[in-house]
Amino acid sequence: MKSLNNIKTAVLSIAILFSGYHGFSQGATKGDLSVALSYFSVNNQVPYITAKVKTKIDGRFQPVAGISLKLFLDKDSTGTFIGKVTTNENGEASTTIPVSVKKEWTTSTKHIFLATFNGNKKYYAAKGDLTISQAKILIDAGSDKKITASVLELKNGTWVPVNAVDVKIGVKRLGSDLPVGDKPTVTTDSTGTAAADFKRDSIPGDAKGNITLVARVEDNDTYGNLVIEKTVPWGAKFIPLSNFNERSLYGTRYKTPIWLLVAAYSILIAVWGILITLVVSVFKIKKLGETQA
Amino acid sequence: MENSDSIANNKIINDLLPQKFGKAGKIWTGVLVAICLFGLYAYYRQLRYGLIVTSMRDYVSWGIYISNFVFFVAISLVGSLITAVFRLAGVHWSTPLTRIAEMIAVAAIIFASLIIIVDMGSPERFYNLFIHGRLQSPIIWDVIVITTYFFISILLLYFPLLPDIKILLTFKERSGPRLNKFYGYIGSFWKGLPEQYKLGDKAINILCITIIPVAFTIHTVTSWLFATTYRPGWDSTNFGAYFIAGAFLVGAGSVVVAMYVFRKAYHLEKYITEDHFEKMGRILVMLAMLYLYFNINEFLTPFFKMKESEAAYLNGLFTGDFSVVFWFAILTGMIVPTIILLFKKGRKPLPVMIAGIMVVIGAWFKRYLIVTPTLLHPFLPMHDVPASYRHYFPSWEEWAITFGSLAGVMLVITILARIFPIIPIQETITEQHEIAE
Repeated sequence: MKSLNNIKTAVLSIAILFSGYHGFSQGATKGDLSVALSYFSVNNQVPYITAKVKTKIDGRFQPVAGISLKLFLDKDSTGTFIGKVTTNENGEASTTIPVSVKKEWTTSTKHIFLATFNGNKKYYAAKGDLTISQAKILIDAGSDKKITASVLELKNGTWVPVNAVDVKIGVKRLGSDLPVGDKPTVTTDSTGTAAADFKRDSIPGDAKGNITLVARVEDNDTYGNLVIEKTVPWGAKFIPLSNFNERSLYGTRYKTPIWLLVAAYSILIAVWGILITLVVSVFKIKKLGETQA
Repeated sequence: MENSDSIANNKIINDLLPQKFGKAGKIWTGVLVAICLFGLYAYYRQLRYGLIVTSMRDYVSWGIYISNFVFFVAISLVGSLITAVFRLAGVHWSTPLTRIAEMIAVAAIIFASLIIIVDMGSPERFYNLFIHGRLQSPIIWDVIVITTYFFISILLLYFPLLPDIKILLTFKERSGPRLNKFYGYIGSFWKGLPEQYKLGDKAINILCITIIPVAFTIHTVTSWLFATTYRPGWDSTNFGAYFIAGAFLVGAGSVVVAMYVFRKAYHLEKYITEDHFEKMGRILVMLAMLYLYFNINEFLTPFFKMKESEAAYLNGLFTGDFSVVFWFAILTGMIVPTIILLFKKGRKPLPVMIAGIMVVIGAWFKRYLIVTPTLLHPFLPMHDVPASYRHYFPSWEEWAITFGSLAGVMLVITILARIFPIIPIQETITEQHEIAE
């Protein structure tokens, strides 16, 4: 009877174990991914592509880290392979357009970037694409402190002006760009230019008064992100004020405040003076003993 | 009469002369040496591969080493309490405890200095503290006061030893040639002349007066290493007094443990009596309650205000990740010993020793809690850092070095107790004569 009970217990345990296992596997469903691509051309140098991967968790989009994407130019084939990237903890990954696809890049003015993810245990396969027309942005800063940005598109081998593109013209600061005038954004006219007056005369620059002007086309459906910078000596010379080199608690070794030196050395001399006297006492005791001997 | 005095003196001397290790003593020393060697191996690995072998990262840059450092500094304060404060206050019953206290103080301060060098990672840069040290930095104050306190503790151990060395040299057959040579080197000039006694007593009195402010300074400055840094849990004007109260408590706790062990190991029941435990128990309970009062001050008002910037830190201590260690430290280090020692039966040797062990263990964890939770809760939230920066649990190398240093302290005390009398012989004889008269 006892052994029968043991068998019953064992069977029941295994049944519970399997039912539990089945229950866990029901909960582990795969998620869908959204892959968004962005194109960047900064100072008309080698462009780069940024992929952003997200998934919906509890009704909100959250970035997904560790997703490996393959990027291609125009078609999904070995000859047009841009590179393999993996998303970081913000769900982002970037790569420049390599020399290996230069031929494809120069043969056409309009390109499609493709991103593919083959799927893994947690997410289904996903794709993303972005169509871009090749364009560039130029900036000019006149002596009258007028800034002109020009947007040009490559058509049939020549650069032609582009009308009605929003351009942000500003001064590059640590956190973001500061608009140079009242309006942060100006629109290009039929000559492809957007102009703004510089009204930030007192803005601090570097030690020589240099500041960096920035003209930016952001998230344009046709041209992507275009950025151009120019350094001009229009800022105020910035001379940092610091008491670091004065006698202060923050100063370097030789800049110790006098009061602290006096206080510390007085205590040190007093205490170590006493200790030295006591060591001398040891020698006095020794001398007394030797004299006695 | 003289004959009976001589017999009594010989009995005291015979009881109190250093004894060779028995089997238990050899095993005890062997275990301590093994732990120290393992700690040294871990330190070799730290030197070989760098501080990356520890779990310390950008946020928790002070880990278990600095907790251990604060613990050793705290214990070392006992020298000033038992020797200096009691002597100046005319407390005579503490005579048999003074040398134990001084040995603990010397051992603890040696390892407090060493553990700071371990924490530096590159020991070859230690001399830079002296060459390029900024007097504005609390670190330099700490270097200065530790050096000073170490020197004073050595002198305070040495001066009262001189009369005993004369006795040790008289009983050469008990020591062996190497020890006799050593005794001769450090004290053969002591002849017991009245002028020598006068100079020695004067030196001891000066030391007792000097050591009290220096001892207060060493632990206050250690507390200022924290309090001068603007962080949750450290931003307190009360830190100096809070640290000193805790230091006296753990120091007294360590003395009662050592008293019990030496009493049992060397059969010193006649010299370290139940009355000593009764009195040390009373002191311990007073210090535990005082430290508990400071703890309530340190935590109750911030808890009442619960400032946004300190909330995560405080909740972590009271109910979060550190709550088990926090309540363990409070209960084991203060509340339970207080309950034990409040009762007369609790002030018998064994319960006092148990309370002492609880105080010491609780105190070690308390130091860990002073350092780590604060560093894991900076005012500016952690962003874009690796996962290892967000948590801290010491690596095996850190544990090995820490246990190696703790074993090292006990080893130094054991060696000192093997070389020198644990209870001052000459002072005991003098006191016995005074009582008889």
